[in-house]
Parts: sequence; C-alpha cells; structure tokens
Amino acid sequence: MSRSFSRQSSYRHLWSLLGIVLILTYSLGPFLWLGIASITPDLKQVPDLTGIQEGASRIQYFPRHPTWDNYSQLFQNVPFGTYMRNSTIIATGNMLLSLTVACLGAYAFVRFRFAGRNSLLVAMLTAYTIPSVVLLVPMLVIFRTYGLNNTHLGMILAESTASAPFVLLLMINYFSTLPKELEEAAQVDGCGRFKILWRIVLPLSLPGLVAGGLLAFIMSWNDFLFAYLLTSNNDVKTLPVIMRQFAQGEPNIWGVSAAGAILSALPVALIFILFQRMLMSGLAAGAVKG
Amino acid sequence: MTTPKRRRKRLDLLPYLMLAPIALLLLFVIVFPLFEAVRLALTDASLLNLARAKFIGLKNFQRLLSDTIFIDSIWRTLRWVVAVVVLEISLALPIALFLNRDFVGRGFMRAAVMVPYITPPAVVALLFLYIFDGNFGIANEFLVKMGIQDAYTAWMSDPTSSFWVVVAAMVWYGTPLMALILLAALQTIPEELYEAADVDGASAWTQFWRITVPHLVPSIMFLGLLRTIWMSNHIDMIFIMTTGGPGFSNYTEAVYSFKLTDEFRIGYASAVAVALSAVLMIGAALYVRYLARGVLKQAS
Repeated sequence: MSRSFSRQSSYRHLWSLLGIVLILTYSLGPFLWLGIASITPDLKQVPDLTGIQEGASRIQYFPRHPTWDNYSQLFQNVPFGTYMRNSTIIATGNMLLSLTVACLGAYAFVRFRFAGRNSLLVAMLTAYTIPSVVLLVPMLVIFRTYGLNNTHLGMILAESTASAPFVLLLMINYFSTLPKELEEAAQVDGCGRFKILWRIVLPLSLPGLVAGGLLAFIMSWNDFLFAYLLTSNNDVKTLPVIMRQFAQGEPNIWGVSAAGAILSALPVALIFILFQRMLMSGLAAGAVKG
Repeated sequence: MTTPKRRRKRLDLLPYLMLAPIALLLLFVIVFPLFEAVRLALTDASLLNLARAKFIGLKNFQRLLSDTIFIDSIWRTLRWVVAVVVLEISLALPIALFLNRDFVGRGFMRAAVMVPYITPPAVVALLFLYIFDGNFGIANEFLVKMGIQDAYTAWMSDPTSSFWVVVAAMVWYGTPLMALILLAALQTIPEELYEAADVDGASAWTQFWRITVPHLVPSIMFLGLLRTIWMSNHIDMIFIMTTGGPGFSNYTEAVYSFKLTDEFRIGYASAVAVALSAVLMIGAALYVRYLARGVLKQAS
C-alpha cells in the first residue's frame, strides 16, 4: 500500500511523523506523567472530593519544587528494597528452572523419535492452555500442605506454571531451525547426547536462550495473582503485591506510589530495551497467556 | 542417516530421561492442582478448617444456579470480554498497518509500541488509577478544560465509569501484543499481490479491502478467540483497581472466584473456577489443536 503513496512523498513523511508522535504518546506518555508524579511532593490520595470547587484545577504539570523525597521514603517507610530483592530472587529462579527443564524437553522433542512423543507434546501444550484461574485455589491448598507458601522456592514453582511450557514452545521453535549435520558429525566422533546439547546446541541457540530466559524472568517479575495468594510475609512479597497495597491507599501519597511504580517497571523496561531484537520474536512466537 | 535405524531396534530411554524434569514439574504445578481443584469443588472446604472439609457432591454447583452474584457475573464477564477484545483489535489494526509501512526509525517504533505490554499489570493498574484520580487525575483536568465535564469526578466510585477506566487500562496494556501479531500476519502477505494490483490500477483503498483485509481475517479470528479465553480468566487489572466494586459492579466470574478464595471459601471458589474453566476449555481445545499442528510440523 505504501508504494501507491510514493509519488506524494511529503504527505508520506507527514503521515509517518504523525504516526510516530501518536505511538510515542500512547506508549511512553503515561510513564512521563508517572515520572513527574514521582518527583512531586504532597500528592495526598484523598478518597472524597468535598471541598473541590467546580472547574478548579489541582494539576501541576511540573512540580514547583521537584524532590527525590518520594524515592527515599520508599526505602525508609516501606521495606521496598526487600520487595525488590524478592522479585529478583523469584524471577531469576524461575528463569533458571524454566530454561533447564524446557531445553532438555525441547531437545528430546526435536531430535528424538520415541513412543508417545506426539501425545506427550499435546499434553504439555494442553497444560499450557489450562486457565490459571482454576489453578489458584488448589495451589493455595497444596502449597500450605507442603509448607511451600511464603517461601521463595514455592513462588518459583508457582511461576513456572506459565513460563516452563512457554519456554518449551520457544525452544522447540528454536532448536528445529538448527542444522542437524553438526550434531551428526559430533555423534560420529563419539560425543554423547548431553555433551552435544551442552557443547553444540545450546551455544548455537544463544539468542533463543536469551529470549526464553528473559521472557520467563519478565513473566515472573510481573505476576500478581500467585504472589498475592501465596505470600503474606514481607520476606517473600514481591513488587506487584506492594503495587496493590499502594492502589488501596497505603501509604496514601501518590508521589511515593509513583516512585514505587517507576522502580518496579524500570528493570523490565531496561531488559526489554537492551534485548528488544531477541525479545520481539519471542513475544510474537507465543506470549499469549494473560 | 543410519542412527534412526539403529535406534529403532531397542528402546532408547534417553529422550524420556530428558523429558522427565519438565513432565514432573508440570505434573506437580498443573495436573495435580487441576485434580485437586475438581476435588475441592465437591467439598465445603474453607481454608480455615481444611481438615474438616466434607464431601458434598454437586451441591456447590447447584448453589451456583441460584446464586445471583454468579448469574449476574455471567453478563458482566461478557461485557468485559467484548469491550476489551473489540477495542484492542480495533486499536491494534491501525497500529500494525502503520508499523508495516516504510519509514525512518521503524525498528525503534516497533519496540517502543511494545512497552505497555512488558510493564507489570499491577503498575499499569496504579498508573491508570492515578490518571483517573479524583483529585490529581489528568483525565479530569483535560475533560474539564475541554468543557466535557463540569467538575472533577471520582471515576472509581461509579459503577459505569470505573468499568471503563479498567477497560482503558487493560486495552492500553494488551493492544501492543495484538498489534505485533497482526504485524506478523501483514508481513506474510506476498508483495507480488500489491504489485499486480498496482499494474491493474487498483487504488490503495481497494488494495486494502481486497488484499490486506482478507489476509488478516484468520489472524483476527484467532486473536479474538485467544483474547476471549484469556480475558474471561483475567483477574489482575479488575481486582487491583476495583476489588470488584463498587458493590459487585465489576465482578466477573474469575474475579468472583478470586474474591471467594481471598475470603477463604475455597470449596465454593473452586466450583466457580471449575464451571468457568469447563466453558473456556472448549475454546482452548481449538487453540491446542492449532498450536499442536504448528509445533508438530516444526519439530519433525
């Protein structure tokens, strides 16, 4: 379609510019507003609106006295550092667990023909599409029974319900693009299968591993439901649980909530910017849950 | 080339060994909980006295039929799903068409548009609560300045406006993924079709309707189905922003089940979740078939 505009190139540039501005406003504008809030003092969260005059404006587009106070309050009044640590531990653990089990499984599916292969694959895909809402209650009960609630290990296991099958899909995708010849040559030289996986397949799959691992990290970092249900203790609570407390009006100051929101979103945003090329293909390939 | 033949002679345990970790993991975190969900749905279990939970057969499901919250949540679930899915696809289509054009900085823009989707949903919820805040919300400011509204309003304390604020948050978050998948579909349309149409003198508008749209229909149907399933399940945004309120106005079936869980009424909560999932699995089965066909083809 774009070709039919090619003669009217100034129109084309105008349209492109308009599109770029609209998209940037859409995806980054709200963050700019959140960033401004995080350096604005005294934004009390007040539930009722009595005393506000008709037509009166309460908006400061930029604070007259910008401050980092909200950020320091975050670490003084709320154990925000602990929550960040928990989110990091759980997301990293989930990333390592998902990558390990998914790479082994994907390699078996791609390079072996064995009895029950297709039905096992379909079973795992089905597991991936089980609505998470039905898993929440039994997970709560099971984790209490086995003492896994309020532990990092329990959270890592819970997060893997979504990310392990997802990374499995991605890695099947990736491994099947690799040429067989190299592995066959190594086999002739007497290399075992595990050695081939470790020495040849995984190094060749680095972009796929990065995409799968980081998306698993992000899925876990962003998850709210399991974290909310399975943690009640500050030593395990993750950032999204705290976001909900902020939304409920605790500690009741928008600036502090905004600072917390910025710090919660920043790590994944940075990961995404640094690795966007690899992550985009992974997202398109199968990030369909949630 | 000789290795497959040799392998056929004896049972090779290696692939099973390699599959064991993920199989065991999924057994523990998905299959086992699934059976446990059905079992709990047949009991009067409360989290506070799990040991004394009694088997009550299908009583929970009978109760659902006369539970007005459950009945009313059916149409609230439909309203939520339709609003989100329709808005997401109608926003995603123009974005995808734009990103498919040739322009300077296209790669950067394709990544920039994805930023909402990788933001934690809990942050998105907080962000939209702030934008629509009664006191400091910039939405109020704009609407008053433009003369659409007389004064600042408390969006979240009204059933209708709070619903639309949550929809806005969800659409903002989910649209980028829709756009990305539609963009992938656009890129599979062969260039020759447009070139041939150019030769025939077809206008850009005709080309859009005759070439682009027919090629997108399967992807749009697929996205619609998928999004319908996941939105029927969705809890985060609604729960964080409204806790289901004011009143029961933002209860969907998924939120209802989650609220019951939060109140420790896990037997009944599980019954709601099982009933919802049973309906959704019909759609999910279609999705599994689609996925399986693709993956089996790739892996062979």
